[in-house]
Amino acid sequence: MGIKVMVVDDSPFSRMIVTEALTEQGYEVVGETDSLEELIEMYNTSKPDIVTMDIAMPGSDGFECSRALLRNDPKAKIILASSMKDEETEAEAKRIGVLGYVQKPVDGEALSKVIQNVLAPDTLFSQLGELAIEAFKEALAQNVTRMAKTPVTFIDSEDIDTPYISQGITCVIGIIGQYAGTMMMDLSTESAEKIAEAILRRPAKGKEEIIAMVAELGNIIAGIACSMINKKEKAYSLRVSPPSMFHGNTAEIVSPSVKLQRCLAETDFGGIFLGVGFKKGAILWM
Amino acid sequence: MDVAMINPILVAFAEILPQIGFQKVEKKSVALVGSTIDYDGILLNIAMIGSIKGVILIGMDLDSAKRFASKMMMGMELAEFDKLAQSAISEMGNMVCANACTQYSKINVSGLDISPPTLMIGAKGQATLPVLQALTILFSVDDIPVKVYVGLV
Repeated sequence: MGIKVMVVDDSPFSRMIVTEALTEQGYEVVGETDSLEELIEMYNTSKPDIVTMDIAMPGSDGFECSRALLRNDPKAKIILASSMKDEETEAEAKRIGVLGYVQKPVDGEALSKVIQNVLAPDTLFSQLGELAIEAFKEALAQNVTRMAKTPVTFIDSEDIDTPYISQGITCVIGIIGQYAGTMMMDLSTESAEKIAEAILRRPAKGKEEIIAMVAELGNIIAGIACSMINKKEKAYSLRVSPPSMFHGNTAEIVSPSVKLQRCLAETDFGGIFLGVGFKKGAILWM
Repeated sequence: MDVAMINPILVAFAEILPQIGFQKVEKKSVALVGSTIDYDGILLNIAMIGSIKGVILIGMDLDSAKRFASKMMMGMELAEFDKLAQSAISEMGNMVCANACTQYSKINVSGLDISPPTLMIGAKGQATLPVLQALTILFSVDDIPVKVYVGLV
């Protein structure tokens, strides 16, 4: 079965050029439109495998159309076709979730190569899925053992869709790079208090000191785990944000755009929940 | 934190929310707060990393969050703040913060990227931001109160 493509561009001439280039390369153009209004309906009816999107259009620009399309179907595969090629345009497209970029005037072979890449299995991402949880577990075990002098063993949780309820203190760290992701570490206030005491060799002075200790521990674990992953494959180029800390209640924690791999680290001081996940997309730039 | 640093975030809210079904985006107040804040309902966490680093938190009470998500879903009635509503609010945060990165690049704060959103849902919780002081912006979005905390350095 042929690969179906939909072309979004405000210029009839550009649509013709792109359509011809696609047809010549053996793709089936299932729809052409120049407006946001028509875009969603046409997409839902013609169900294309790929959408090529012009960036500068009157009324709604390609970014707005891409956002609308991804809200309608988060799995939509959009390739931006634009005469503009500057870093910020590319960066914004990546942040929105556009998967590929081709410069205008569109060259049939170049466009075909981007389409093939967008549709190919993303091996770098699959590899990260395998690497990530192991690296974070290793970083957690090493550092908790070294700092709090307690052995660490892990129980894997296969049930990744269930919402997680915080035990008391949650550390959330954002990750950016080739793929963006999140690390989540959660433990009870009692466990955190005991770990803080073991690290400080005295009881913690108060809640603030305990939270600061968990934040620092999370920071170290995420930083070390990401360096370990970058060392194995430097294309990941992962970087971490400073930690946000959540505490004082038993909140439900959800991460709607990321499937978290989870595990529970058991220590002498109680359990530490660890969740790590990355978001697929935005990697194929020609 | 310099108050001028929140302008890109104000622009991002004003630019994105009308695209996802809201008519009136009003900034009600801006204030400086300490690093620990209270929340009751939902709090969306999105990290920003690049030449500046930190976090943007978007908070609403549960009822407001349901109304907000419902508006994003063409007025669909929501009895619960369910998975679909959680995803809608997260997507809004993602779109606004992605656009804020673009707005920052216009004032020469470049190379920013954002993490996927994490959503906390709970009553009477606290959050500690990784900065000494944060700025809080109170928005009224089609009369729905939305609190945004900006902790960037």
